[in-house]
Amino acid sequence: MSNPVPDAVEMPAHPGNGAPLLSVEGLTVRFAGVTALAEVSFNVQPGELFAVIGPNGAGKTSLFNVFSRVYQPAAGTITFDGRDLLRLKPHQTARAGIARTFQNLGQFPLHTVLDYMLLGRHTHMRSGILLGGIYLGPTRSEEKKNRAYCLKLLSLLGLERYQNYPLGSLPYGLQKRADLARALAMQPRLLLLDEPVAGMGLEESQDIAAVILDIKEQLGITQILVEHDMAMVMGIADRVLVLDFGRVIAQGLPAEIQANPDVIKAYLGEEFGKQASVDVSTPAETSREQ
Amino acid sequence: MSAAETAVETPAIEEPPGLLRLAIVRGLVVLGIIAVGIFFLIASDEWLNIANYTMLAAIAALSLNVLSGYTGQVSLGIAFFMAIGAYTAVWLGGDPTTTFFINAQKVPALGLGLSWLIWLPGAGIVAAIAGAIIGPTALRLKGFYLGIVSLALIFIGQQIFVNASRLTGGPGGRSFPSVTFGSFDFSQQNTILGVAVTSNQQYFLLILVILVIAAVFVHNVMRSRAGRAFQAVRDNETGAAILGVNLFEAKMGAFILSAFLAGIAGALFAAFNSYVRPDYWGLLLSIQYVAAIIVGGIASVWGSILGAAFVFALPQIIELLTPQSQSSTSTGVIFGIASGDLNAAIYGLLIIVFLLFEPAGMIGLIRRGQLLVRRLSNRPRKGGEPAKASPNSVHDSEFEVESSTLSTGDGA
Amino acid sequence: MAFFIQLVFNGIALGCIYALIALGFTIIFKASEVINFAQGEFLLVGAYVASAGVFDWNLGFVPSILLAIAVTVIIGMLFERFALRRMIGRPVFSIIMITIGLDTILRTGVVIKWGSTIRAPASPFQFSSGFNVGGVHFGANEIWTIIVTIAICALLFVFFRFTRYGLAMRATAIDQEAALAIGVNVRTVYALAWGIAGAIATIGGIFLAIQAAAFDSTLGQTALLAFPAIILGGLDSVVGAVVGGILIGLTQDLTAGYEGHFTNIVGAGFHDIAPYILMIIILFIRPYGLFGTRKVERV
Repeated sequence: MSNPVPDAVEMPAHPGNGAPLLSVEGLTVRFAGVTALAEVSFNVQPGELFAVIGPNGAGKTSLFNVFSRVYQPAAGTITFDGRDLLRLKPHQTARAGIARTFQNLGQFPLHTVLDYMLLGRHTHMRSGILLGGIYLGPTRSEEKKNRAYCLKLLSLLGLERYQNYPLGSLPYGLQKRADLARALAMQPRLLLLDEPVAGMGLEESQDIAAVILDIKEQLGITQILVEHDMAMVMGIADRVLVLDFGRVIAQGLPAEIQANPDVIKAYLGEEFGKQASVDVSTPAETSREQ
Repeated sequence: MSAAETAVETPAIEEPPGLLRLAIVRGLVVLGIIAVGIFFLIASDEWLNIANYTMLAAIAALSLNVLSGYTGQVSLGIAFFMAIGAYTAVWLGGDPTTTFFINAQKVPALGLGLSWLIWLPGAGIVAAIAGAIIGPTALRLKGFYLGIVSLALIFIGQQIFVNASRLTGGPGGRSFPSVTFGSFDFSQQNTILGVAVTSNQQYFLLILVILVIAAVFVHNVMRSRAGRAFQAVRDNETGAAILGVNLFEAKMGAFILSAFLAGIAGALFAAFNSYVRPDYWGLLLSIQYVAAIIVGGIASVWGSILGAAFVFALPQIIELLTPQSQSSTSTGVIFGIASGDLNAAIYGLLIIVFLLFEPAGMIGLIRRGQLLVRRLSNRPRKGGEPAKASPNSVHDSEFEVESSTLSTGDGA
Repeated sequence: MAFFIQLVFNGIALGCIYALIALGFTIIFKASEVINFAQGEFLLVGAYVASAGVFDWNLGFVPSILLAIAVTVIIGMLFERFALRRMIGRPVFSIIMITIGLDTILRTGVVIKWGSTIRAPASPFQFSSGFNVGGVHFGANEIWTIIVTIAICALLFVFFRFTRYGLAMRATAIDQEAALAIGVNVRTVYALAWGIAGAIATIGGIFLAIQAAAFDSTLGQTALLAFPAIILGGLDSVVGAVVGGILIGLTQDLTAGYEGHFTNIVGAGFHDIAPYILMIIILFIRPYGLFGTRKVERV
């Protein structure tokens, strides 16, 4: 797949035929005696901003690791863009159009921001060792074009002045932002955001939230967001999936989820769940435990 | 975008900084060429000799850096790949009229007597093939497991070489014909355009050209797509794969390139030294190269060259310069180095000292020096902001630059 | 048949020595995740110091052994304290390399101090003491090697199972941070690990030197064979260390015994590389050794 580098920061269009971009059925992941995910099923529509929330250990990162093909599921199917995702190897997910941000950022501390971006362009570039070693000719023009593209992305995210800083030397918030820029540089169809505002203050979180919304509205990229920050999630997500101990306990619009007593119970415990089931007046699914 | 900071200029299209792009580097290169030229003309034979062995070592150090420094594969096998190169060269270029005494019998040696234009690239190619065969092991084995397998490679290799007497001449080794360029035999003194050039001078030019080509090639690879992939593999394989790097391709590529360079170095050594023995290609040689890249700078082209100079040239230079004292521990000259145990102990010490105190090697020291100079000239003005925000000032001392790499623009 | 049994017996005895080295290595690795390339060299240093103790400084056999153990233990602990502590958190490559540095220094240091002349080993046995059964000579040294190895394994078992420090080491091996959190003095654990490793390598070295009847610095080459043993068994497995050691010892001696028939094909000295070939074969099937555990890289 050799995509010509677009002049503007374009992103690939998505099929408008109403079929979900990602479809997960009965996903079960087990390791070391722990069931990380159990019978998880959900769909993500193209262009959607889909959030996955749940208490710690609920299996959210495991979900992403399955999408990245780092974990092998014990059961279940995943269809991405009409193809069976489980048949792909980890490095093929990028080519298929899936980009992911990392939860732990210590991976490439020595790469400069720009080099990290260019690393993100790996699947969109072609030079191998031979061409690279000669450099003049195809490689040089490829480097020029892709550098320009990456710098444009960086400037859109306000990172352009840090292009030559090693990642490890940047403050945490900037690293996360650079990671997001790198994911965008991969020109994905599906963007997996792994706790993009973890450890950030209020203002920075709001900045990132705005970026995420911009990605959705201006670039039309489908996103799955894993996050703990409830306010942010409920504020921007189209739909929300709630996991607890690897199981789906609720799915739906943010407002529904916020009112769902099972969700409240999972996060805050039995007492609040009971309270919620008393206070809340939604007609559906109120499990009354007396 | 709403999140963008306000002061954003349209970036100029940044051409990747090549070796020649920056004015300072340009100036240094010119100076360097002049210095090399002067050296070539006036240096004595002993100095040229040292220089030649050092440049050969630099090519091999580049090879090791490609595999271990840039791609993070733990490998002690460089001696093996050099040996493959040397013996391929011997096979392709060796004198077919030589005979060996093996088991008290006279046996014709293997050798095709071909020109260096065939055996030199041939050595690289065959070594590269060996690298391609060994490469897949790096996919299954990680870290120390891989390291010990590479160790096994050396021992098994030596076993094979000692026993393949028709090719290698057995434990005693065999001689190797020199490079001949048309009517010029490099082992003789010749005349070019009325100027007399010694054997060492001719080899100097040849090896220098090859070293420069190799260095530029590696530098280019590392600042392009393939090199970025190598370094990503070194830093975090799983992460690299998620970014789309095909681990198989990357590791194979690293092994093949590294082995090719090692093979070339080994073959050139055979020609220059005009003699090769199986016991040259042992563990000590690999450790010397490890010391070289640690001392010089991991993942750095200049680091490879500096490290080779430090580890291979320095002992010889010292010996050359000091009055003929009884250096009781040097037992002979292999690779132009006194292979004494004292030297080996020093390599060990160098490795430890540098790893503890300057893991980025001499390149790291140089960069610290640059940083210091920059800091001294960047003293904050009173009541204002610091004069310049230089990219490296953010991290200073807490941040260990283990690999001085990637496109920071100072040329590797 | 007697020949075969002889080879097996000698092989097991040799294997026990490798097992001791490998055990020390694994203990260090499990406690601190450090790969001690210099482990085999402790063996060398031990043999030399013991020999020097008996022949140069006229100490008795037992004091010489104790001196040798003390020297290697001190070297190990000093190295750990002053070199390795600073390397915490650095990439595996660097840690391996720094222990290679130590390995080189130890190996050449021994030669610098004592030269490369052949030495007699410190030994309490007469040369051919032992007994014969049915054409097989059960040498006293070999018997003692096996007995002492079993004893050390038993002692270590008791140590790890039942003593406070042993438990502390096991805890550190499982999860360093957690161990720190519950108050384990990880520094002591590290020092202890290196001390134990040095001590048992020294003991192995003394036995090996006796086996060799006369030794020089090439004893270090033999010590290198502990690495295939370590790899074969699995870096982080104590059982693997012992099994690996014995396997390598057996491989070496059996190959040495029978290779005469195959010199044309594989050349002389094949038994020196047979262990490596065995190791490679096993790694094909089990890339983490027979008993090693897979390391997962975190993303």
